[in-house]
Amino acid sequence: MKSIKNTILLLGVLFAFTTACTDDYESVPVDQYTIEYVFSETDSAGVQAVRFLNNIYSSLPNGYNRVGSDFLDAATDDAVSLYMDADPDVSRLQSGRYTASNQVSSDMNWGTWYAAIRKCNIFINNIDRVPFNTPYTNSREYVDEKGNSVTGESRPIGSSYKAEARFLRAFFYFQLLERYGGVPLVGDRVFDINDNLELPRNTFEECVNYIISELDDIQDSLRSLPMRDATAFAHAPTKQACIAFKARVLLYAASPLFNGNTLEPGNPYVGYTDYDASRWTKAAEAAKDFIDRYDGSSSMMNRNKFRLADDYYKIFQNYFSTDTREVIFFRNNGSGTSVERANGPLGFTGNKLGNGRTNPTQNLVDAFVMKDGKPRGESKYTYDPQHPYDNRDARLEYTVLHQGSQWLNTLLDTYQGGTNNPSGSGRYNRTSYYLGKFMNDFKMANEYGSHTELWVYFRYAEILLNFAEAANESDARDAYMNDIMKYLGILRKRAGIEAGSDGLYGLDPTMSREALREVIHNERRCELAFEEHRFFDIRRWREAETIFQQPLQGMQVVKGTTQTAYTPIDILTVNWTDKMYLYPIPYTEVNKNSNMVQNPNWNE
Amino acid sequence: MMGQTVSGVVTSSDDGEPLIGVTVKVKGTQTAAVTDIDGRYTIAANNGTHLLFSYVGYTEREMVVRGATLDVTLQPDANGLDEVVVVGYGQAKRITLTGAVSAINGKELQKVPVSSVQNTLAGKLPGFFSQQRSGQPGKDASDFFIRGVSSLNGDGNKPLIIVDDVEYTYEQLSQININEIESISILKDASTTAIYGIKGANGVLVVKTRRGEDGHPRINVRVESGLQMPVRTPNFLGSYQTAQLVNEAYANDGMQPMFTDADLEHFRTGDDPYGHPDVNWYDEIFKSTAQQSNANVDVSGGTDRLKYFVSVGYFMQNGLVKDFGSANTDVNSNYLYRRFNYRSNIDFQVTNNLTMRLDVTSRFMNINEPYNLNATGQIYSWEEMHPYSAPVINPDGSWAYLYDTSGRRPTLNARLANSGYRRTRRNDNNLLYSANWKMDFITKGLSSNIRVAYSTIDENWRSVWRSEFPTYHFNSDGQGGGYYNINPDHVYTNGSYAVTAGTNTARKDLNLQAFLNYARVFNEDHDVSGMLLFNRESTTNENFGQKVPEKFMGMTLKLGYKYKNKYLVDFNAAYNGSDRFSAGHRYGLFPAIGAGWVISEEEWFRNLFEKSVDHLKIRSSFGIVGSDVAMGDRYLYNQIYEVGDTYYFGDRAMNWQGYREGALGNDNVTWEKARKFDIGIDLNLWNSVSITFDYFYDHRYDQLVYRGDIPQLIGIGTSPVNVAKTMNRGFDGQVGYRKSWGDWSFNTNFVFSYAQNRILFQQEAMQRFPWLTKTGRPINQPFGYTWDGFYTPEEIAAIAAGTEGAPAVPVSETPVQAGDLKYKDLNEDGVIDDYDKQAIGKPNLPNTTLGWTIGGSWKGFTLSVLFQGSFNYSFSVVGTGIEPFKSQFQPLHLQRWTQERYENGEEINFPRLTSNPTTVNAAEAYMSDFWLVDAWYIRLKTIDLSYDLPRKVLPKFLDSARLYMNAYNLFTWTSYDKYQQDPEISTNTAGDAYMNQRVLNFGVALGF
Repeated sequence: MKSIKNTILLLGVLFAFTTACTDDYESVPVDQYTIEYVFSETDSAGVQAVRFLNNIYSSLPNGYNRVGSDFLDAATDDAVSLYMDADPDVSRLQSGRYTASNQVSSDMNWGTWYAAIRKCNIFINNIDRVPFNTPYTNSREYVDEKGNSVTGESRPIGSSYKAEARFLRAFFYFQLLERYGGVPLVGDRVFDINDNLELPRNTFEECVNYIISELDDIQDSLRSLPMRDATAFAHAPTKQACIAFKARVLLYAASPLFNGNTLEPGNPYVGYTDYDASRWTKAAEAAKDFIDRYDGSSSMMNRNKFRLADDYYKIFQNYFSTDTREVIFFRNNGSGTSVERANGPLGFTGNKLGNGRTNPTQNLVDAFVMKDGKPRGESKYTYDPQHPYDNRDARLEYTVLHQGSQWLNTLLDTYQGGTNNPSGSGRYNRTSYYLGKFMNDFKMANEYGSHTELWVYFRYAEILLNFAEAANESDARDAYMNDIMKYLGILRKRAGIEAGSDGLYGLDPTMSREALREVIHNERRCELAFEEHRFFDIRRWREAETIFQQPLQGMQVVKGTTQTAYTPIDILTVNWTDKMYLYPIPYTEVNKNSNMVQNPNWNE
Repeated sequence: MMGQTVSGVVTSSDDGEPLIGVTVKVKGTQTAAVTDIDGRYTIAANNGTHLLFSYVGYTEREMVVRGATLDVTLQPDANGLDEVVVVGYGQAKRITLTGAVSAINGKELQKVPVSSVQNTLAGKLPGFFSQQRSGQPGKDASDFFIRGVSSLNGDGNKPLIIVDDVEYTYEQLSQININEIESISILKDASTTAIYGIKGANGVLVVKTRRGEDGHPRINVRVESGLQMPVRTPNFLGSYQTAQLVNEAYANDGMQPMFTDADLEHFRTGDDPYGHPDVNWYDEIFKSTAQQSNANVDVSGGTDRLKYFVSVGYFMQNGLVKDFGSANTDVNSNYLYRRFNYRSNIDFQVTNNLTMRLDVTSRFMNINEPYNLNATGQIYSWEEMHPYSAPVINPDGSWAYLYDTSGRRPTLNARLANSGYRRTRRNDNNLLYSANWKMDFITKGLSSNIRVAYSTIDENWRSVWRSEFPTYHFNSDGQGGGYYNINPDHVYTNGSYAVTAGTNTARKDLNLQAFLNYARVFNEDHDVSGMLLFNRESTTNENFGQKVPEKFMGMTLKLGYKYKNKYLVDFNAAYNGSDRFSAGHRYGLFPAIGAGWVISEEEWFRNLFEKSVDHLKIRSSFGIVGSDVAMGDRYLYNQIYEVGDTYYFGDRAMNWQGYREGALGNDNVTWEKARKFDIGIDLNLWNSVSITFDYFYDHRYDQLVYRGDIPQLIGIGTSPVNVAKTMNRGFDGQVGYRKSWGDWSFNTNFVFSYAQNRILFQQEAMQRFPWLTKTGRPINQPFGYTWDGFYTPEEIAAIAAGTEGAPAVPVSETPVQAGDLKYKDLNEDGVIDDYDKQAIGKPNLPNTTLGWTIGGSWKGFTLSVLFQGSFNYSFSVVGTGIEPFKSQFQPLHLQRWTQERYENGEEINFPRLTSNPTTVNAAEAYMSDFWLVDAWYIRLKTIDLSYDLPRKVLPKFLDSARLYMNAYNLFTWTSYDKYQQDPEISTNTAGDAYMNQRVLNFGVALGF
């Protein structure tokens, strides 16, 4: 009897032991964020959802020394990396030392763009759940040309956020498009691990159409200039950015690499299968549309308009000061001196330290015209090989620091072994040039000081150049000629080129299409140097094969007691192969996906 | 007959301790006596008669009486037939065990003069694999594995560690005082590990600590002290040779020489020690020896009611860095380790049926390191310093800085003297309380036991550091004069010391166990036992913000039946789970069955082999065990959102936080499982030879791996899935021999372990070429290029000319030159790229390990020698360990390829020197079998020589006294001399591990 009681007691104790264990036990981890938390049905300000959007913005490429610590432009004929002997990523891109399996990861980031697109889709699919209850007006009140007061539209703020995500998604697709041609379009889908991921590529045409239709669809949902609260929202793409973006997409689509002179005729992934001249006209119209709506060159009063900044130094540092209305869409990288530290001339220490990373080539320096807008030989200014930087397009001084440039209150000595090209690091700057662009005006300064570093995706100067290029190629070239001259003139005027007695800034409306094309291409090269245009421009023009027939050159400077001798020297010969016009799709992606078609000639 | 009495003390030959309860018998008579708690006996026996001494577990000994005193030493029984080994939640007699268990006595471990328990086990236990990766004081514990590895998940191969039935971590194990250990077992097969269920798949290491025994208090004091010295010290080239090689490399790269002929002449003659220094930094920074010492005191004893074991220990190990302390500093930046251990194990008999037990353990330790620098790594790194970078100290006594390096840091000795230290302080506390209740009143043989174990670990660090102190460059004019330049940092005075601190670990663990035990023998033939355990554990790790406890819960069942100790069957099962997995996938059942047949108990067998075979048993087991260690996030089944990159908002650069999606969850995630089969044989012969042999086959499945076949189109990382399979098979065992003749005894034991694994499936994407495939190869198989000699000048010319049949060249990087490493073009496409990588060498963990112990004793002298070897593995050294312009120049670099050496037909063992880090000669970018060493080593791991003073010379208060000396890692033989590294380093290291140490140790042990 006693033993039974004891047994019951014992079992009771054991039972209590077993059950007492669950009262402090959560069956799911409650301390972690979930999608319901981020896109909350109770968060009327959308605080968490906006944070998700912020993270999408952070996927936007920041072009400053982006590619393995170099500018993408150091993979073109415009510059080389100081570290070219150590085979940095830009040198591999420049010389095509990559394969489908051995990729240059800092720019061949197929997966990164799809990761960014996925984020956009999550946002687009879930943002409607957030009950934004604050209305917002998409632009500030302003006075238009006719003196009418214009008010923005009022709507829930969520609709703008959603449009921003769609803009960014289109932007990410464009990054893929200019690198790979047509790529798989995933729509609004957010894939799960069990989904069929063996998606085929969409054609180039489908991708262009998708981007354009998205941009058309969202432009009225985006914020519009003048922005009501630029302090907080200047980074957001606006309706104006959307229209500018469309102009660029159409320009690319009309370009020879995709339109008429594709890598593989009949291959719909690498371009249009037919040539259609009207694509140039469409591109010209799109750019013209932007100019017609938003050109503010003639008046200062309308705050929804754009005009070129007078001071070249301010473009990349000041988004919205009174005299700067040039930047259309940008990434703000905060305030600092990282551009100067990475690219400033060697030979300084402390707060003047520069690592001389980017070395512009003689080829780029030669591209800058003389002060009157005419190339050497045709200009009224003679080019003096002993003073090669005199009487040149003023943008040269801004873009490139050279032997004798005034910088940090000293005159640079950039010859090999000179103060600003020392041998201490075991590496000489082989071109004798340093990047000057993007930096603040430190000519007379004693040391570098912090300034805002904007990476600019779209600015008004590009729109003008987009128009000029497309219009020149268009069947309606003659009708556009006056505008071409006008808008190139505006650009050259700001650059400090002399107007000349004819007021044409060295231009000539009677030039042949081919001659004018060369001028426009050159203008684009000088104006937009190091802004991640050249790399794609020489590809879409299908000119890389010609351009790289010339060796890249640097300047050998010999400083004598009385005068300095300048001799261009070859520093690199690029063996261009045409498959380099498009990147190879990663081998692993082709391998995992039986529907994936590799770009021409990368499949080996 | 004369009534002569003989008396004496019986001691064990193992440790010289008295044996209690030894039966002493006069041969051929009924006269007998038993030794008391001091091992003392008195018996009536005449001179010339024979006395028989017998004791369980010891060989019987016969002695002739030749006087009134007769002290006797007994040898432990070679057969170990009565040996009891610790298994999971209990003990078992070795002769009736059905599982695969290797065990070792704590006394054996004390012969190895090291601080970490795991370092004492190498070569002693069949199935135990270890590699000691570092010799740094306090961080020198070996990585170890039981029967090799079989999980693709790196952390998923660590054995479970159980100390007195409570789970310990690797770090906790390495901090246990070896003096507290009674025995260590490793459980290798399913029948012994299944009771641990979800945690048992990698084998279990079980430690049992010492407890008190009946008898008057015994006090043991052990004090030892020794010297550590590196097993191997690196040898670097001096300034003259280095400068020559630098110039040669620059010339190879088409650059101007760095040093003029005048410079070289200064280096050669050494006539300008400040302008052209030649410093052997290794010798300047490190001493040749460092001290270590160890002291232990323990007290044990007990009565019927209360038994106790109390031990305190102190271990101290110094580092090899010289003392550079200057006037302004009294901080100690040397490496060091200090540990204080305390243990009190109490057993208390409350009533006849109720016993209670209270174990209290604490470990306090300190590890000191130089602040923010790895002294060995600094010396190896070319970027940090060169032999000519600076003098050790300037002529005026000021600190120098490394003038020609990009960082221009102060010299290493200056930093060691001034920069401060980082000290890690750790405090472990363990409490174990248990109550055992015999419940014979319900049914005979039933008992229950409740156990509560609470442990805490608190590890904090504190750094005392300063970054600023003045350094100067002395510009020598070469004539003895010169002037000083201050470091460009322009620090003119010493900065003040700053103190920073933080927490590494704050872990609390509560473990509750409730047992029901049953053990009874019916009719003397049927031995039935059973155990049911409910086990619950919760662990909180309060650092890293992870404050929700990790939960583990389960039941364990053990059933055993033995018929006449001849036919043995064991059934073990665990049903347990962990909260790492989603609700439906949390619990699993892990059953195992073991069976044994003791053939030597059979009548017919005994008749046949009575004289030769003492014991023969065949046993086998099969079962399923699991492992809940998983890579990645703690909750793999859950998709979480996390804080991600920020973005600057607006035009004023306001930085805003971002959220992003975490890796995709996997709802079905569950634990890994292993099907384990083991068959073994135990054989004892001629009362002197013992043989154990086990063959095993493990099939590890449902392993968590990241799927390799998901396109990046998905746009997000994915959680691992349970798909991979591996197998691991091999054998292990030992052959021992033990014999004594009079005062002489001899023993030897040969231990062997072999384990070979292979990946069977891992959802690998289809590879273009068969040699790229990882499936079918061992876990952690290295892949790389296949070295095919050096490019000859003729080949380079052929490549330049584009000749048909010219060797392949790398697709990227700078053009190859004569003397570069040439690799096989496996797919014959004319370029060397990723498609040309194949399996090279072997994984880093040896698949074969051997140990050979030889020992003997004569009177009070005991000698034991252990050779240990590991075989069949590979490693490579890269980066700062060997590559020119990343590493210092080493003697190997003198055997480089040069045109001249090539033409003279000299032996070439290294490629052309180049300062370009991206050529095909770069080991990290172009890993190949050139850099790989197919390694083996044999070490004279330990020698232990001791002498027990005869009792008659001891003062009365002293029961025993022993003097001993032992050594660790005394000699090493290995297959390679390419790199100046220890053979146990981890692969692909930069050669910056703290040198493994050789230890010479002397000690004295006293018993009161």
